[in-house]
Amino acid sequence: MYQYSGLILFAPLLSFVIIVFGTRVWDMLSRPKKVQLTTHDGHGSGEGHEQGAHVGVELAFASVPAVATAATARGAKDATAHAEDQAAAAHGAHLDDHGEDDDEDPKVAHLSQGAVVSGYVGVGIMLLAAVYSWYLLLYSIFVPDQNFLKNGTDVFSYDWLRQVGGAGDYVIAFHIDTLGLAMLVVVTTVSLLVHFYSQGYMEDSAGYARFYAYLALFTFSMLVIVFAQNFLVIFIGWELVGLSSYLLIGFWINKKAKPDEQRPSPSNAAMQAFVTNRVGDVGFIIGIMILFANTGTFDFATLFVKAPHVMSQGLLATAMILVFCGAVGKSAQVPLHVWLPSAMEGPTPVSALIHAATMVAAGVYMVARVFPLFVSAGPVALGTVAWVGAITALFAATIALVQSDFKRVLAFSTISQLGYMFVGLGISGLGNSDLTYGAGPGMFHLFTHAFFKALLFLGAGSVLHSLHHATHKEVQDMRLMGGLGPKMPITAITWLIATLSISGFPFLSGFYSKDTIIGLTAERGQWGLYIITLGTAGLTAFYMLRAFILAFGGTDGKYGGLWGGTYRGVGDPHESPRTMTIPLVLLAIPSIIAGYWFGFFQYLSPKAPIISFTELLTNPLTYIGTAVSLLGLGVAYFMYARLNQEKLHNFVENNAALRTVHRILYNRYYVDEFYNWLIKYGVLGLSHVEQAFDTYIIDGVVNGVARLVTTLGRDIRYTETGRVQSYMIGFFGGVAVLTAVVLVLVTYVAK
Amino acid sequence: MGLTLNHFLVLGAMLFCIGLYGAIAKRNAIAVLMGIEIMLNAVNITMVAFSFFNHVKGNGLDLSSLLTGQIFAIFIITVAAAEAAVALAMVISIYRKRDTVDVSEIDMMKW
Repeated sequence: MYQYSGLILFAPLLSFVIIVFGTRVWDMLSRPKKVQLTTHDGHGSGEGHEQGAHVGVELAFASVPAVATAATARGAKDATAHAEDQAAAAHGAHLDDHGEDDDEDPKVAHLSQGAVVSGYVGVGIMLLAAVYSWYLLLYSIFVPDQNFLKNGTDVFSYDWLRQVGGAGDYVIAFHIDTLGLAMLVVVTTVSLLVHFYSQGYMEDSAGYARFYAYLALFTFSMLVIVFAQNFLVIFIGWELVGLSSYLLIGFWINKKAKPDEQRPSPSNAAMQAFVTNRVGDVGFIIGIMILFANTGTFDFATLFVKAPHVMSQGLLATAMILVFCGAVGKSAQVPLHVWLPSAMEGPTPVSALIHAATMVAAGVYMVARVFPLFVSAGPVALGTVAWVGAITALFAATIALVQSDFKRVLAFSTISQLGYMFVGLGISGLGNSDLTYGAGPGMFHLFTHAFFKALLFLGAGSVLHSLHHATHKEVQDMRLMGGLGPKMPITAITWLIATLSISGFPFLSGFYSKDTIIGLTAERGQWGLYIITLGTAGLTAFYMLRAFILAFGGTDGKYGGLWGGTYRGVGDPHESPRTMTIPLVLLAIPSIIAGYWFGFFQYLSPKAPIISFTELLTNPLTYIGTAVSLLGLGVAYFMYARLNQEKLHNFVENNAALRTVHRILYNRYYVDEFYNWLIKYGVLGLSHVEQAFDTYIIDGVVNGVARLVTTLGRDIRYTETGRVQSYMIGFFGGVAVLTAVVLVLVTYVAK
Repeated sequence: MGLTLNHFLVLGAMLFCIGLYGAIAKRNAIAVLMGIEIMLNAVNITMVAFSFFNHVKGNGLDLSSLLTGQIFAIFIITVAAAEAAVALAMVISIYRKRDTVDVSEIDMMKW
């Protein structure tokens, strides 16, 4: 039954195909071919004819009277103006609902039938895929099949190219094993909930069907990575993920940049994500090529056995660090993290998908997938992984402390948590103890993180959606929120659960996965990593509770400021529709209980130990970690729920050191500015030099040759007199000269 | 002593030079043509002389190869006749058009 898991892989592709070639085409065909113009005469006045022109818009629009009046008021002149009027009419329809919206992404008054069906298709197919993958996971746990647990199952294999002589194989092969299955469940579950949630969040977006097609493509791309059996396939999936994230981040192509909020336009953000990932991919592809050139294979299982024998450890370590570069780009580690905060410009369900399951998880999953190679490569490669992770975790956490953009806090928390995952992966192989943990600790944190991070993002989306309805603006600034707890209780409660879970609050899922990693750093004697990860845990708790209080609570709220309080924005926000709250509730469950899968390490690698609950409770390290997390929570509570915000603000503003620190952190250590500077003066400067080279050297040579020939021709042409006799002089003179030369040669030289 | 090959060659060279001078220096197109004819005949003399002296020496070659120079001369005379006809026709034609046969004035094909 495991070999049928290929159906899960191709399910999102199927829904992509159905939407692109099915419902979208059907939608286009069922659209009325021509716009009918019916004129009402009888207004009497001369311009009445024009004013009364009534545009019979599409069926969908015709059902909304407000549209027709809006179009009429604009005085639609002819059928060709219809297209522009359509958007305007849709805008006009919104006027009746809730005032003028200031965002530029096109809205429709009413989704077409094809679009609605596209949504149902996406949700339905993902539901089947998610149910089947959960069934497979539970089956593999409760009905253990030793062969599958050890080796996994090949799902699909196709000889794409086979080199003559059998040296080197290019095989498209898909494979499922326990590591893939754990990831598969995460991807399909989060994707399903995001699909479902988008029905509410994207309710009136013009590109509704397109959005679902991209979501399906994104899920398919990630599943290609999950199922990959060799580097070739994982690289294909890798690039597909990059493409679909580009499409989804830049989904609202008409939106402009917001410089005062330091937010780029979605199209720029999409490009940034794509280009930044290319930087990492250069290393990734070179690493793959080094491995392939030395072993002649892409296949993971063969590489694990062969690579340590045929490659020196130094070369293998170089290759693996280069491969890790790809993960740095994809998983937004320092210094390639800049695309991820910008990716917040995409629709919020996309952010949830990117941050929980598909895009950034790909880097962690890839490292986990080739983990035996990292172990063979030795402590240098593993140390690089761990230290890059640790530095990223601390770096991002400090930035997240002061951000005021709701989604950006979550973006930096994702970067920080991904750092933890890499620390978990690196530390598992580091140190002098046995390597039995395998990829367990990092993957466990990925597994639990996926649920609460998806929950955080979907909750944030719910808040933004509600504020958008209330204020008719796109509000992401936490300074314009506050006191939302009682107004949207489901979102607030589920968000609180996720906040506590990511903070490492005891007995929630984040507590187990994060404490394991922190504990392991101490166990392996890596005290530098231990201190960084421990400190970051405290920072995480601080900024997450800060975000919660700023959004949902306030100093004058209930329960000491945690719940309710003054709402600092305008309008009257209320709870989001059920399509959006149901996924929140469903995600809150694994956010609490996912950490109780104590056999996770053993499930991934059979020799690994089971997490022992009693050992966890008796280990002093656990209490230290918990104490730090609780300290972070406590400080955040004290600062944002108890203190007077005005006084706090003034205190920071009047203290030069604090103010400077705040400014540096708020501007994200000026990394974006540094990259801008680097591009502006480095890359553009170089291109100016190259342009000068092109203009003066290359063009100079080409033009110089042409000019030389022109000048010569112009000056020498006067020898062409047109008189035959002068030519004869030349001819016979030439013969005479030649004769003389021959004579001299014959007489003096030939002897 | 008597006539040797060199006498004929010198005669040919002299005739050729006279013809060349006429072709280059004369301004009348007819005179230029005449110069060319002299050059051709200088070549003919050389040809026949080579052929004759080769034959006199009698190197045991067959007759056909010994007569090559003479046959060449006949060909040249034929071609020269045709050339003279064509050239004279052109000169007449130019004279009708431009009222002159001065070659220094016939320079339409210059830069």
